[in-house]
Amino acid sequence: MRSKFDEQLELLHKELIEMGALCENAIAMATKALSEGNTKMAAKVPELSTEIDRKERDIETMCMKLLLQQQPVARDLRTISSALKMVTDMERIGDNSGDIAEIVTMANISPSDNTEHIQDMARATIKMVTDSIDAFVKKDIDLANSVIAYDDVVDGFFNEVKTDLIKKLGKPESNGEKVLDLLMIAKYFERMGDHAAEIAKWVRFSITGNKEG
Amino acid sequence: MTKRIFRTIFVVAVSIFLASALLFMTVLYDYFSGIQQSQLRMQIDLASQGVEDEGLDYLQNLTIKDYRVTWIGTDGKVLYDSVSDIDEMENHFEREEVKEALSEGYGASSRYSSTLTQRYLYGAKRLPDGTVIRLSVTQNSLLILTLGMLQPIMVIFVIAIILSAFLASRLSKKIVKPLNEIDLDKPLDNDGYDELSPLLRRIDVQQKEIGRQSEELKQKQKELEVMTSAMSEGIILLNSRGTILSINKAAAKLFGTDCFCIGEDIVSINRSLELAQLLNKAKAGKHSEQVAEFGNGQYQMMASPVISDDIVSGIVLLLLDVTEKEKAEQLRREFTANVSHELKTPLHTISGSAELLANGMVKAEDISVFSSRIYSEAQRMIQLVEDIIRLSHLDEGAENMKWDKVNLYRIAEETVNSLTDEAANAKIKLKLCGEAVSINGIKQLIQEIIYNLCDNAIKYNRRDGSVSVEVKDMDDFAIVSVSDTGIGIPTEHQERIFERFYRVDKSHSKEIGGTGLGLSIVKHAAKLHNAEIELQSVVGSGTTITVKFPKNSERSI
Repeated sequence: MRSKFDEQLELLHKELIEMGALCENAIAMATKALSEGNTKMAAKVPELSTEIDRKERDIETMCMKLLLQQQPVARDLRTISSALKMVTDMERIGDNSGDIAEIVTMANISPSDNTEHIQDMARATIKMVTDSIDAFVKKDIDLANSVIAYDDVVDGFFNEVKTDLIKKLGKPESNGEKVLDLLMIAKYFERMGDHAAEIAKWVRFSITGNKEG
Repeated sequence: MTKRIFRTIFVVAVSIFLASALLFMTVLYDYFSGIQQSQLRMQIDLASQGVEDEGLDYLQNLTIKDYRVTWIGTDGKVLYDSVSDIDEMENHFEREEVKEALSEGYGASSRYSSTLTQRYLYGAKRLPDGTVIRLSVTQNSLLILTLGMLQPIMVIFVIAIILSAFLASRLSKKIVKPLNEIDLDKPLDNDGYDELSPLLRRIDVQQKEIGRQSEELKQKQKELEVMTSAMSEGIILLNSRGTILSINKAAAKLFGTDCFCIGEDIVSINRSLELAQLLNKAKAGKHSEQVAEFGNGQYQMMASPVISDDIVSGIVLLLLDVTEKEKAEQLRREFTANVSHELKTPLHTISGSAELLANGMVKAEDISVFSSRIYSEAQRMIQLVEDIIRLSHLDEGAENMKWDKVNLYRIAEETVNSLTDEAANAKIKLKLCGEAVSINGIKQLIQEIIYNLCDNAIKYNRRDGSVSVEVKDMDDFAIVSVSDTGIGIPTEHQERIFERFYRVDKSHSKEIGGTGLGLSIVKHAAKLHNAEIELQSVVGSGTTITVKFPKNSERSI
């Protein structure tokens, strides 16, 4: 009985890692599309986003089945309940990547439109997402904590991007629509950072049973 | 064990007890019944004697409690009864014992009361006058007797339970103790039951067998480990579910993990989609390959399914570092493209001019112009082909070149002299300074090195610039450095200028001339001499290229 349960937990772990990998790919592709103005690549992101949605449903079903059939307690219960919460955040990361890709396609954002800070912000966000999933894979609480702390860096970048864009808007030749689109993109990155921090918190919860450090 | 032994002992004890109790009771009951019956007969004899002598008075004066006495007349009517009123009693003629007494002289019978709790014994005797005297005695039935014994039986039952539980636990402990004390590591050293010795012998044999096999397995695993750990390629063995069974050092290093990942899922050490796709294909039983980027290198991943009994039982993942290969491949592609381009350009000019000449479209006075153009382009092509041949010769290791003691300064002097005209045309000052140093080397190649460096320094100089060549002796090394005051080389190009056909400014290559192979020849020639090349360049103010020859360089192979 227990061995079957262990097997299922292992499968859940694997599925979560795979979903994390999909998210990493989605955000990396969206960022690449943004920095290169590559609309072809941007068009592929929504596909990934749908796959992430499907994975989310799979994992949810798996968690529900485990909860009902095995009635887990203590650590197992924490693992499963945090998995249930993590997939939501991962799914949002996928959605946000899709949103960024959509803006890149619709608004025809070219590499020259990017401010340097948006690139920095994208890199910082990717690092957060990768680290949060690494923390989950390695059950590394220190890494999880560092991800949570790193959220401030991304928030800082968001403010800088905002300042840049305000300056840009003040210039006579500025294109208001593009500035707003860039602001949206920055906001999406900022949201993804929040989701990554949230994932890290659930990683912490599943290890220690304490979500708020 | 204890439970079973207890049950057996208990059942045996109780059944023996019950059987013996039953036996005793029936035997005793029969015995006592016999005694009672003979007593009854004696009493009847006495009573009949009395009645014969005294008649009814005898009976009326009789005071006995144990017996019931009945006197039955010849017509069956009861004349006297010691218990009931005679008027209410029915005719006794039909009673079994009475009938028997009338016919035989004595009769006996027994009947159970309606509740089965009592048994009546009857005895009857015919008197000489034809009347019958009957005596009856009550006797407790076997059932009542048994019921009366219930209490002691229960006590014995409880005692049996306790005793058998006690015995069972002792017995099972005694049986199990030697079994528990068997030292399975040394099965033959035990002296338990004789019955166990075949088992112990068998265990001993199997243990030895297992020990030998596991030793063999360990040995094999060690061999494999040694073999794989020395490999520069990464090898990972996975089971069919993707769990890592074995990983060698190179692969662990590549994925930034350690040997503790054995037993974990492959996704926990690398979750790239390429790898996942590759493994999925392998799980489906197909061999597949893919090049992917890990860290700073390109790796070719090969996943092969291990198929046994038509089922994929595992996956072998091989990782080859193809960074160098990919780079070399790219260089080769670029080289081919460059060579064909460089060869095509002069050919176009030649073919165009020749076509015009052939069609007679050229005025007589222009013929010399066209033919000199054809000549110069042909010369350029010849030089290019010569350079390529020289390079490929250098690639082969300059087999036929002669190694000699050469004087660097003298070679530099000769080379500088040969370039004076060119320098003067470009209005550039050419200087040579330094001291005489002799090294072991190939004169022709060293000449080539200095020539090419000076040639470049002149070509890529500004007007009224200068080129200075310096030859220095530094104990173990001889140094030739060529500095110019030219345009300099931007940092991002510095790495690549020694590549074949590489040009910093691609658009003006034709004006400047040259084949684009000069520095490549320098690089190869220097390599043959084990010399190092150092490049210092500042954009806009000049470049210094220093070649450091080891003095006692042996021919490198």
